[in-house]
Amino acid sequence: MSKPKFSRDILKIQDMETLIDQLCTRIREDITVRHKRYGAVIGLSGGIDSSVCMALTARAIGPEKMLGVMMPEKDSSPDSEELARELAAKFGVRVIKEVITGALDGFGCYARRDQAVKDVVPEYDPSTHKMKIGIKHEGKGSKLPPLFHLTVVNPDGSETVKRLPSLQMRTIIAASNFKQRSRMSLVYYHAEQLHYAVIGTPNKHEVAQGFFVKFGDGGGDLFPIGNLYKTQVYQIAEYLGVPKGIIDRTPTTDTYSAEQTQEEFFYEFPHDIMDLLWYAYENDYDPAEVSPVMGMSAEEIERNYRNFERRSETTEYLRTPPINDYIFI
Amino acid sequence: MDELKKELFAYVKENTFKETDSLKSDTKIFIEGVFDSMGFALLLDFLETKFQIQAEDSDLVEENFESIDAIADFIVRKNPELV
Repeated sequence: MSKPKFSRDILKIQDMETLIDQLCTRIREDITVRHKRYGAVIGLSGGIDSSVCMALTARAIGPEKMLGVMMPEKDSSPDSEELARELAAKFGVRVIKEVITGALDGFGCYARRDQAVKDVVPEYDPSTHKMKIGIKHEGKGSKLPPLFHLTVVNPDGSETVKRLPSLQMRTIIAASNFKQRSRMSLVYYHAEQLHYAVIGTPNKHEVAQGFFVKFGDGGGDLFPIGNLYKTQVYQIAEYLGVPKGIIDRTPTTDTYSAEQTQEEFFYEFPHDIMDLLWYAYENDYDPAEVSPVMGMSAEEIERNYRNFERRSETTEYLRTPPINDYIFI
Repeated sequence: MDELKKELFAYVKENTFKETDSLKSDTKIFIEGVFDSMGFALLLDFLETKFQIQAEDSDLVEENFESIDAIADFIVRKNPELV
Protein backbone atom coordinates (compact mmCIF):
# COMPACT_ATOMS: atom_id res chain seq x y z
CA MET A 1 0.00 0.00 0.00
CA SER A 2 1.40 3.40 -0.92
CA LYS A 3 1.89 6.03 1.74
CA PRO A 4 -0.65 8.85 1.95
CA LYS A 5 0.54 12.20 0.68
CA PHE A 6 2.24 14.10 3.51
CA SER A 7 0.07 16.93 4.83
CA ARG A 8 -0.54 18.96 7.98
CA ASP A 9 -3.69 16.88 8.60
CA ILE A 10 -2.00 13.54 8.38
CA LEU A 11 -2.32 12.89 12.13
CA LYS A 12 -6.01 13.75 12.28
CA ILE A 13 -7.95 10.79 13.68
CA GLN A 14 -10.55 9.92 11.04
CA ASP A 15 -12.82 7.53 12.94
CA MET A 16 -12.63 8.57 16.58
CA GLU A 17 -15.41 6.31 17.87
CA THR A 18 -13.78 3.17 16.44
CA LEU A 19 -10.37 4.14 17.80
CA ILE A 20 -11.78 4.81 21.28
CA ASP A 21 -13.59 1.44 21.20
CA GLN A 22 -10.39 -0.34 20.21
CA LEU A 23 -8.37 1.41 22.90
CA CYS A 24 -10.96 0.67 25.59
CA THR A 25 -11.32 -2.99 24.62
CA ARG A 26 -7.56 -3.40 24.78
CA ILE A 27 -7.27 -1.57 28.13
CA ARG A 28 -10.00 -3.78 29.61
CA GLU A 29 -8.33 -6.96 28.34
CA ASP A 30 -4.89 -5.92 29.51
CA ILE A 31 -6.10 -5.12 33.02
CA THR A 32 -8.42 -8.05 33.58
CA VAL A 33 -7.24 -10.85 31.28
CA ARG A 34 -3.53 -10.27 30.87
CA HIS A 35 -2.68 -8.78 34.26
CA LYS A 36 -5.62 -10.32 36.15
CA ARG A 37 -6.29 -7.21 38.21
CA TYR A 38 -9.62 -5.86 39.50
CA GLY A 39 -9.10 -2.26 38.43
CA ALA A 40 -6.54 0.45 37.77
CA VAL A 41 -4.56 3.10 39.63
CA ILE A 42 -3.21 6.18 37.88
CA GLY A 43 -1.04 9.07 39.02
CA LEU A 44 -2.76 12.34 38.12
CA SER A 45 -0.64 15.38 37.31
CA GLY A 46 -3.31 17.65 35.89
CA GLY A 47 -1.58 17.31 32.51
CA ILE A 48 -3.07 16.16 29.23
CA ASP A 49 -1.49 12.68 29.11
CA SER A 50 -2.58 11.39 32.52
CA SER A 51 -5.99 13.01 32.00
CA VAL A 52 -6.63 11.20 28.72
CA CYS A 53 -5.35 7.91 30.16
CA MET A 54 -7.72 8.31 33.10
CA ALA A 55 -10.69 9.17 30.89
CA LEU A 56 -10.01 6.21 28.59
CA THR A 57 -9.56 3.76 31.46
CA ALA A 58 -12.68 4.99 33.25
CA ARG A 59 -14.61 4.39 30.04
CA ALA A 60 -12.99 0.97 29.59
CA ILE A 61 -13.52 -0.54 33.05
CA GLY A 62 -15.84 1.87 34.82
CA PRO A 63 -14.81 4.77 37.07
CA GLU A 64 -15.74 2.81 40.22
CA LYS A 65 -12.80 0.47 39.49
CA MET A 66 -10.27 3.27 39.33
CA LEU A 67 -8.22 5.27 41.79
CA GLY A 68 -6.51 8.53 40.88
CA VAL A 69 -3.55 9.58 43.02
CA MET A 70 -2.32 13.17 43.11
CA MET A 71 1.23 13.39 44.43
CA PRO A 72 2.31 17.00 44.79
CA GLU A 73 5.55 18.13 46.40
CA LYS A 74 6.81 21.53 47.39
CA ASP A 75 7.86 22.52 43.84
CA SER A 76 4.54 21.48 42.24
CA SER A 77 2.25 24.06 40.71
CA PRO A 78 -0.96 24.47 42.77
CA ASP A 79 -2.90 24.47 39.47
CA SER A 80 -2.04 20.79 38.98
CA GLU A 81 -4.11 19.64 41.97
CA GLU A 82 -7.08 21.82 41.09
CA LEU A 83 -7.15 20.53 37.51
CA ALA A 84 -6.71 16.90 38.57
CA ARG A 85 -9.64 17.22 41.01
CA GLU A 86 -11.83 18.78 38.33
CA LEU A 87 -10.99 15.92 35.96
CA ALA A 88 -11.63 13.17 38.51
CA ALA A 89 -14.94 14.76 39.51
CA LYS A 90 -16.05 15.01 35.89
CA PHE A 91 -15.38 11.32 35.20
CA GLY A 92 -16.51 10.07 38.62
CA VAL A 93 -13.14 8.65 39.62
CA ARG A 94 -12.16 8.56 43.30
CA VAL A 95 -9.07 10.64 43.91
CA ILE A 96 -6.68 10.87 46.84
CA LYS A 97 -3.78 13.16 47.61
CA GLU A 98 -0.41 11.96 48.86
CA VAL A 99 2.12 14.73 49.49
CA ILE A 100 5.60 13.39 48.73
CA THR A 101 7.70 16.28 50.05
CA GLY A 102 8.66 14.33 53.19
CA ALA A 103 9.70 11.27 51.19
CA LEU A 104 11.79 13.44 48.89
CA ASP A 105 13.41 15.13 51.89
CA GLY A 106 14.27 11.67 53.18
CA PHE A 107 15.96 10.75 49.91
CA GLY A 108 17.92 14.02 50.01
CA CYS A 109 16.31 15.02 46.70
CA TYR A 110 16.25 18.76 47.43
CA ALA A 111 19.55 18.90 49.35
CA ARG A 112 21.50 17.04 46.66
CA ARG A 113 19.95 19.10 43.86
CA ASP A 114 20.43 22.44 45.66
CA GLN A 115 24.08 21.72 46.40
CA ALA A 116 24.72 21.00 42.72
CA VAL A 117 22.95 24.25 41.78
CA LYS A 118 25.07 26.19 44.31
CA ASP A 119 28.24 24.66 42.82
CA VAL A 120 27.38 26.46 39.58
CA VAL A 121 25.57 29.58 40.91
CA PRO A 122 26.90 30.18 44.45
CA GLU A 123 24.32 32.88 45.28
CA TYR A 124 21.43 30.41 44.76
CA ASP A 125 19.28 30.14 47.88
CA PRO A 126 16.30 27.78 47.50
CA SER A 127 14.23 29.86 49.94
CA THR A 128 14.46 32.98 47.78
CA HIS A 129 15.51 31.80 44.31
CA LYS A 130 13.88 29.43 41.84
CA MET A 131 15.64 27.12 39.41
CA LYS A 132 15.15 24.98 36.34
CA ILE A 133 17.33 23.22 33.81
CA GLY A 134 16.79 22.79 30.10
CA ILE A 135 18.50 22.09 26.84
CA LYS A 136 19.89 24.88 24.77
CA HIS A 137 20.21 24.18 21.09
CA GLU A 138 23.07 25.80 19.26
CA GLY A 139 20.76 26.77 16.40
CA LYS A 140 18.02 24.40 15.30
CA GLY A 141 19.53 21.54 13.34
CA SER A 142 23.07 22.08 14.65
CA LYS A 143 25.18 18.95 14.39
CA LEU A 144 26.43 19.46 17.96
CA PRO A 145 24.35 17.65 20.57
CA PRO A 146 22.38 20.00 22.84
CA LEU A 147 23.78 20.81 26.28
CA PHE A 148 21.90 21.37 29.52
CA HIS A 149 21.84 24.87 30.99
CA LEU A 150 20.83 25.92 34.47
CA THR A 151 18.56 28.92 34.96
CA VAL A 152 18.35 30.49 38.41
CA VAL A 153 15.53 33.00 38.83
CA ASN A 154 16.73 35.69 41.24
CA PRO A 155 14.41 37.35 43.82
CA ASP A 156 14.12 40.44 41.55
CA GLY A 157 12.93 38.26 38.67
CA SER A 158 16.17 38.47 36.69
CA GLU A 159 17.73 35.23 35.49
CA THR A 160 21.24 33.82 35.76
CA VAL A 161 21.88 31.23 33.04
CA LYS A 162 24.94 28.96 33.09
CA ARG A 163 25.97 25.93 31.10
CA LEU A 164 25.96 22.91 33.41
CA PRO A 165 29.18 20.97 33.92
CA SER A 166 28.50 17.26 33.47
CA LEU A 167 28.74 16.33 37.18
CA GLN A 168 26.25 18.98 38.27
CA MET A 169 23.97 18.15 35.32
CA ARG A 170 23.92 14.48 36.29
CA THR A 171 23.43 15.30 39.98
CA ILE A 172 20.48 17.63 39.35
CA ILE A 173 18.80 15.15 37.00
CA ALA A 174 19.44 12.15 39.26
CA ALA A 175 18.17 14.00 42.35
CA SER A 176 15.09 15.34 40.54
CA ASN A 177 14.28 11.84 39.29
CA PHE A 178 13.50 10.88 42.89
CA LYS A 179 10.23 12.73 42.27
CA GLN A 180 9.03 10.47 39.45
CA ARG A 181 10.35 7.33 41.15
CA SER A 182 8.72 8.20 44.48
CA ARG A 183 5.43 8.74 42.70
CA MET A 184 5.65 5.40 40.93
CA SER A 185 6.47 3.72 44.24
CA LEU A 186 3.34 5.22 45.83
CA VAL A 187 1.14 4.34 42.87
CA TYR A 188 2.29 0.71 43.17
CA TYR A 189 1.55 0.79 46.90
CA HIS A 190 -2.08 1.59 46.13
CA ALA A 191 -2.18 -0.82 43.19
CA GLU A 192 -0.98 -3.72 45.33
CA GLN A 193 -3.28 -2.81 48.18
CA LEU A 194 -6.30 -2.82 45.86
CA HIS A 195 -5.04 -5.60 43.53
CA TYR A 196 -5.21 -3.11 40.68
CA ALA A 197 -2.92 -2.54 37.66
CA VAL A 198 -0.96 0.67 37.15
CA ILE A 199 -1.69 2.82 34.11
CA GLY A 200 1.49 4.32 32.68
CA THR A 201 0.98 7.65 30.93
CA PRO A 202 3.86 8.25 28.47
CA ASN A 203 2.84 9.19 24.93
CA LYS A 204 4.59 8.14 21.72
CA HIS A 205 7.20 10.91 21.79
CA GLU A 206 8.08 10.37 25.40
CA VAL A 207 8.62 6.67 24.77
CA ALA A 208 10.43 7.03 21.44
CA GLN A 209 12.63 9.98 22.40
CA GLY A 210 13.31 8.87 25.95
CA PHE A 211 11.57 11.73 27.74
CA PHE A 212 10.72 9.75 30.86
CA VAL A 213 12.41 8.49 34.00
CA LYS A 214 13.26 4.81 33.91
CA PHE A 215 11.28 3.05 36.67
CA GLY A 216 9.66 6.43 37.36
CA ASP A 217 7.02 7.90 35.06
CA GLY A 218 8.26 5.34 32.52
CA GLY A 219 6.80 2.62 34.77
CA GLY A 220 3.39 1.01 34.76
CA ASP A 221 1.62 -2.14 33.59
CA LEU A 222 0.13 -0.75 30.37
CA PHE A 223 0.70 2.41 28.31
CA PRO A 224 -2.66 3.19 26.64
CA ILE A 225 -1.34 6.24 24.75
CA GLY A 226 2.19 4.92 24.18
CA ASN A 227 1.58 4.79 20.43
CA LEU A 228 -0.32 8.03 20.06
CA TYR A 229 1.13 11.35 19.00
CA LYS A 230 0.49 14.28 21.32
CA THR A 231 -1.67 15.88 18.60
CA GLN A 232 -3.87 12.77 18.70
CA VAL A 233 -3.93 12.76 22.51
CA TYR A 234 -5.39 16.29 22.33
CA GLN A 235 -8.00 15.16 19.77
CA ILE A 236 -9.07 12.33 22.10
CA ALA A 237 -9.14 14.75 25.05
CA GLU A 238 -11.57 17.01 23.17
CA TYR A 239 -13.73 14.07 22.18
CA LEU A 240 -13.90 12.59 25.69
CA GLY A 241 -14.63 15.94 27.29
CA VAL A 242 -11.45 16.46 29.29
CA PRO A 243 -11.81 19.85 31.06
CA LYS A 244 -10.77 22.82 28.95
CA GLY A 245 -8.33 24.05 31.61
CA ILE A 246 -6.28 20.88 31.06
CA ILE A 247 -6.48 21.02 27.26
CA ASP A 248 -5.47 24.68 27.13
CA ARG A 249 -2.62 24.32 29.61
CA THR A 250 0.90 24.45 28.17
CA PRO A 251 2.59 21.09 28.85
CA THR A 252 5.09 21.61 31.67
CA THR A 253 7.58 19.41 33.45
CA ASP A 254 6.25 20.53 36.89
CA THR A 255 9.54 19.29 38.32
CA TYR A 256 11.60 22.38 39.11
CA SER A 257 10.72 25.37 41.28
CA ALA A 258 10.77 27.74 38.28
CA GLU A 259 8.07 27.24 35.66
CA GLN A 260 9.21 25.32 32.64
CA THR A 261 7.55 24.05 29.48
CA GLN A 262 8.32 20.62 28.03
CA GLU A 263 9.47 22.33 24.85
CA GLU A 264 12.04 24.28 26.86
CA PHE A 265 13.25 21.25 28.77
CA PHE A 266 13.48 18.66 26.06
CA TYR A 267 11.72 19.20 22.76
CA GLU A 268 12.97 21.66 20.20
CA PHE A 269 9.57 22.40 18.69
CA PRO A 270 5.96 22.85 19.78
CA HIS A 271 4.31 19.44 19.91
CA ASP A 272 2.27 19.84 16.71
CA ILE A 273 5.41 20.55 14.66
CA MET A 274 7.38 17.85 16.47
CA ASP A 275 4.61 15.32 15.79
CA LEU A 276 4.60 15.97 12.06
CA LEU A 277 8.38 15.85 11.79
CA TRP A 278 8.52 12.65 13.80
CA TYR A 279 5.74 11.06 11.72
CA ALA A 280 7.61 11.96 8.54
CA TYR A 281 10.85 10.53 9.93
CA GLU A 282 9.25 7.36 11.23
CA ASN A 283 7.43 6.71 7.96
CA ASP A 284 10.42 7.51 5.84
CA TYR A 285 8.98 10.46 3.93
CA ASP A 286 11.34 12.12 1.49
CA PRO A 287 12.51 15.45 2.97
CA ALA A 288 11.69 17.06 -0.38
CA GLU A 289 8.01 16.12 0.08
CA VAL A 290 7.92 17.23 3.74
CA SER A 291 9.77 20.50 3.19
CA PRO A 292 7.01 22.62 1.56
CA VAL A 293 4.36 21.35 4.01
CA MET A 294 6.47 22.27 7.03
CA GLY A 295 7.90 25.48 5.58
CA MET A 296 11.44 24.25 6.24
CA SER A 297 14.25 23.49 3.82
CA ALA A 298 14.83 19.85 2.85
CA GLU A 299 18.26 20.12 4.54
CA GLU A 300 16.61 21.22 7.78
CA ILE A 301 14.19 18.29 7.60
CA GLU A 302 17.12 15.95 6.95
CA ARG A 303 19.02 17.36 9.94
CA ASN A 304 15.99 16.80 12.16
CA TYR A 305 15.75 13.18 10.96
CA ARG A 306 19.39 12.71 12.01
CA ASN A 307 18.66 14.31 15.40
CA PHE A 308 15.73 11.93 15.92
CA GLU A 309 17.92 9.01 14.96
CA ARG A 310 20.57 10.11 17.43
CA ARG A 311 18.02 10.69 20.19
CA SER A 312 16.46 7.25 19.66
CA GLU A 313 19.86 5.64 19.83
CA THR A 314 21.11 7.49 22.90
CA THR A 315 17.91 6.79 24.86
CA GLU A 316 17.65 3.11 23.96
CA TYR A 317 19.01 2.32 27.45
CA LEU A 318 15.85 3.80 28.97
CA ARG A 319 13.55 1.57 26.93
CA THR A 320 15.58 -1.59 27.49
CA PRO A 321 14.16 -3.85 30.20
CA PRO A 322 16.63 -5.65 32.48
CA ILE A 323 18.67 -8.00 30.30
CA ASN A 324 17.75 -11.53 31.22
CA ASP A 325 19.22 -13.83 28.59
CA TYR A 326 22.16 -15.01 30.66
CA ILE A 327 21.60 -18.59 29.58
CA PHE A 328 24.84 -20.54 29.58
CA ILE A 329 23.88 -24.02 30.77
CA MET B 1 50.29 20.19 18.37
CA ASP B 2 50.95 16.50 17.68
CA GLU B 3 51.18 15.81 21.41
CA LEU B 4 47.90 17.66 21.94
CA LYS B 5 46.15 15.64 19.24
CA LYS B 6 47.57 12.44 20.73
CA GLU B 7 45.98 13.33 24.07
CA LEU B 8 42.68 14.09 22.37
CA PHE B 9 42.78 10.78 20.49
CA ALA B 10 43.44 8.95 23.75
CA TYR B 11 40.53 10.73 25.45
CA VAL B 12 38.07 10.06 22.63
CA LYS B 13 39.04 6.39 22.37
CA GLU B 14 38.70 5.94 26.13
CA ASN B 15 35.36 7.70 26.41
CA THR B 16 33.28 6.75 23.39
CA PHE B 17 31.13 3.64 23.19
CA LYS B 18 31.68 3.42 19.42
CA GLU B 19 34.49 1.45 17.80
CA THR B 20 37.39 3.76 17.08
CA ASP B 21 39.55 1.73 14.66
CA SER B 22 38.64 4.05 11.80
CA LEU B 23 38.83 7.25 13.86
CA LYS B 24 40.96 9.90 12.15
CA SER B 25 41.84 13.43 13.19
CA ASP B 26 39.32 14.81 10.69
CA THR B 27 36.48 12.37 11.51
CA LYS B 28 33.31 14.35 12.19
CA ILE B 29 32.82 13.01 15.70
CA PHE B 30 29.28 14.27 16.26
CA ILE B 31 27.98 13.28 12.82
CA GLU B 32 29.49 9.82 13.26
CA GLY B 33 27.86 9.54 16.68
CA VAL B 34 31.15 9.18 18.55
CA PHE B 35 29.70 11.41 21.28
CA ASP B 36 26.14 12.24 22.36
CA SER B 37 24.99 15.06 24.68
CA MET B 38 26.54 13.46 27.75
CA GLY B 39 29.74 12.77 25.81
CA PHE B 40 29.87 16.40 24.68
CA ALA B 41 29.38 17.70 28.23
CA LEU B 42 32.12 15.39 29.52
CA LEU B 43 34.42 16.40 26.66
CA LEU B 44 34.00 20.08 27.59
CA ASP B 45 34.78 19.31 31.24
CA PHE B 46 37.90 17.42 30.15
CA LEU B 47 39.12 20.20 27.84
CA GLU B 48 38.52 22.93 30.43
CA THR B 49 40.31 21.03 33.18
CA LYS B 50 43.15 19.49 31.22
CA PHE B 51 44.03 22.47 29.01
CA GLN B 52 43.07 25.28 31.38
CA ILE B 53 40.63 26.89 28.98
CA GLN B 54 37.13 28.26 29.37
CA ALA B 55 34.63 27.45 26.62
CA GLU B 56 32.12 30.30 26.39
CA ASP B 57 28.62 29.77 24.98
CA SER B 58 29.69 31.57 21.80
CA ASP B 59 32.48 28.98 21.36
CA LEU B 60 30.02 26.08 21.20
CA VAL B 61 29.83 25.90 17.42
CA GLU B 62 30.52 23.06 15.02
CA GLU B 63 33.69 24.67 13.65
CA ASN B 64 35.34 24.32 17.09
CA PHE B 65 34.28 20.78 17.95
CA GLU B 66 33.49 18.82 14.80
CA SER B 67 36.75 16.80 14.80
CA ILE B 68 39.95 16.23 16.73
CA ASP B 69 41.70 18.65 14.34
CA ALA B 70 39.08 21.32 15.05
CA ILE B 71 39.24 20.78 18.82
CA ALA B 72 43.04 20.99 18.80
CA ASP B 73 42.91 24.28 16.85
CA PHE B 74 40.30 25.61 19.26
CA ILE B 75 42.39 24.73 22.32
CA VAL B 76 45.47 26.39 20.88
CA ARG B 77 43.48 29.53 20.05
CA LYS B 78 42.22 29.60 23.64
CA ASN B 79 45.55 28.79 25.22
CA PRO B 80 48.43 29.61 22.82
CA GLU B 81 51.01 28.57 25.41
CA LEU B 82 50.18 24.96 24.65
CA VAL B 83 52.24 24.97 21.42
